[in-house]
Amino acid sequence: MNTIAIVFNAEFVRRIRSRAYLAGTLIGAVGILTLTLLPTILGGMTSSSSKKLVLVGDPALSASVKKALARDFEVTAVLARLDATPTAAFLDAHGKAAAVAIVAASRDGLHVTAYTRDPSLFGTSFGRDLASLQIALALGVPPARVDASSHVKVDVHDVSGRFADAKAADAAKGVAYFFVILLYLSILLNAQAIMSSVAEEKTNRIAELLVATIDPARLLAAKILASAATSFIQLGVWIVSGVVIGRLAAGFVASGAAADAPSLLSTVDLSAFEVTAFLAFFAIGFAQYGVLYAAAASLINRTEDLGAVAGPLVIPVVIAFVMATIAMQVPNDPKIVVCSLLPLISPFVMFARVAVTDVPTWQLIVSLLVNAASAVLLAWASGKIYRVGLLLYGRPPSFRQVISTLRS
Amino acid sequence: MGTLVLSNIARSFGNVVAVRDVSFTVPPGGTFGLLGPNGAGKTTTMRMILGILLPDSGRVSWNGAPVDLPVRRRFGYLPEERGLYGKLKVRDQISYFGRLHGVVPPDDTKRTDAWIERLGLGEFANRPCGELSKGNQQKVQIACAALHEPELLVLDEPFSGLDPVNAETLQDTLRALRDAGTTMILSSHQMWQIEDLCESFCVIAGGTVRASGSLAELRSAWPTRIVEVEPIAAPLRAVLDAMPGARRLPEADRPTLAYEVPADADTAALLRRLVAAGDVTRFERVDPSLRDIYLRAIGAAV
Repeated sequence: MNTIAIVFNAEFVRRIRSRAYLAGTLIGAVGILTLTLLPTILGGMTSSSSKKLVLVGDPALSASVKKALARDFEVTAVLARLDATPTAAFLDAHGKAAAVAIVAASRDGLHVTAYTRDPSLFGTSFGRDLASLQIALALGVPPARVDASSHVKVDVHDVSGRFADAKAADAAKGVAYFFVILLYLSILLNAQAIMSSVAEEKTNRIAELLVATIDPARLLAAKILASAATSFIQLGVWIVSGVVIGRLAAGFVASGAAADAPSLLSTVDLSAFEVTAFLAFFAIGFAQYGVLYAAAASLINRTEDLGAVAGPLVIPVVIAFVMATIAMQVPNDPKIVVCSLLPLISPFVMFARVAVTDVPTWQLIVSLLVNAASAVLLAWASGKIYRVGLLLYGRPPSFRQVISTLRS
Repeated sequence: MGTLVLSNIARSFGNVVAVRDVSFTVPPGGTFGLLGPNGAGKTTTMRMILGILLPDSGRVSWNGAPVDLPVRRRFGYLPEERGLYGKLKVRDQISYFGRLHGVVPPDDTKRTDAWIERLGLGEFANRPCGELSKGNQQKVQIACAALHEPELLVLDEPFSGLDPVNAETLQDTLRALRDAGTTMILSSHQMWQIEDLCESFCVIAGGTVRASGSLAELRSAWPTRIVEVEPIAAPLRAVLDAMPGARRLPEADRPTLAYEVPADADTAALLRRLVAAGDVTRFERVDPSLRDIYLRAIGAAV
């Protein structure tokens, strides 16, 4: 049996059975599920309890206000007048409302006096909903005419023909964001798992036994491949949690008052090209970071030092993540285009661009070539450091020694 | 079986010379003891034999050919410090290292079970190695090193930290491997154990060979012998004091006269003179022990 296959098999089984992996996968799945359901749950919560109002005032005016607020608020009762200042008990008695709004019209327009459990309720959406009515009253024209006049009809045409409308383009950003988070989590968790594995083998002197039977480069390759395989499985679990279960659960949670509330991934519709791009950039990104983390881990002598070498390596991952989120907003900005060609950064940025815009083919090809070449170069350099570092005990090597190793 | 030859190997780490010039030959099926104080270069020498480190100069060969990866996979290695995955079960650990050395399923399972039984590890077979005592971990380590029936077994301080019972178990195991024809190199500070197991020895100090050969060869090169005579009596002491080159040694707890005499001294003539001088109840010519040889070699090096 091939030694790479033996090490791959052992690493894969060890990793997939480890508590850290199982816990990471489970917590990640719960987190992603929560993320996808959060808008639905929050929508349900806000619409079911905190956005109920009691209107007080002239019945005709109250009817107009109720109609204007219908988009964001539920009016539980309409009263002509109040006998006393409203209390919490009064609100409970009127459909567990969150507030009483006393409405009055004057020459200056609409005036509202509110008694509420939650003052933040009368923020942007309340004023926005009543803006048309306010203008109608001030100008003395029917509210319907103001509504009709204030509505601007915008016909959106994507020049690439990729997105049918603004909603589809927004959904694409949601998808890009979701997958960039997956990439970020997966690389951070699994590259650090490679580090721990290498550090364990070095500090426990297992490395001596291994390199007596297998070439260090093959050992490193087997470890990276095993970790990549477990990462793909983990990603699969997370994607299933986020998309499939998320959709099903969203339907269940959204039954009732929040039936219209959207789930983050309710409109996910990935093309084969996007899936391929994600897998390709994931594999390349994983290889780049995996070999770097393994090489760094081979230089330490105590597992306590892992954090010290892992810290600097997190920086490019974070930069890449931040650049990817910016790329979702301005995917064709020249600086973003450059970032999408840079090693270590581009696996994140280029995928984000692919999800939200049509990336020219030449840029994709250049990015893939640059990244593939960088992965090979990093693997070569990391392999040399790993080969030497694995058997280097005592004082950690200086930067000059590492450079000297690379030159040798 | 094969012959291992080390020819003038040297290895430095930066400015530190770990091995300066080491040469020796281990014949097929031979058991070779590598002796030396801490930092003498024993472990570095072993790592060069196994190809873990490459010598800066000199050559290591197995049956006349360089020790490459396919050859190394036929070797077994027990490092001084435990080289085990703490969370991996005993059975899986042994089997894994067996497969890395080319033992294919289902043979790996059969051999693993056999070694577990042989070393009395049955009750720990499905427990993680990290939960085992040091002695039992050492047993697992020896099983990992020997599962593939290596042509050459390199054991770095195999008795380190073992209690007498576990040391005896390991001693028995190594004897069995030796009797089965496995070529072995082992280092140890436990002289009696290494003397019992090995046919030839090499004392290293300061990265160079200070003494090497079989025990008989090492003894024959030893310049003196010890003569012990009882009882302590003035006439007998006078005879010994008069012997050319003799040096009186401090008396031990028992009533014995002990003298260091030249190796080529005529001890038969000495005995005749002692008997003529008085009653002799005990006369013994003591050959130097491995410990004596080791200490002298190390002393010369220090």
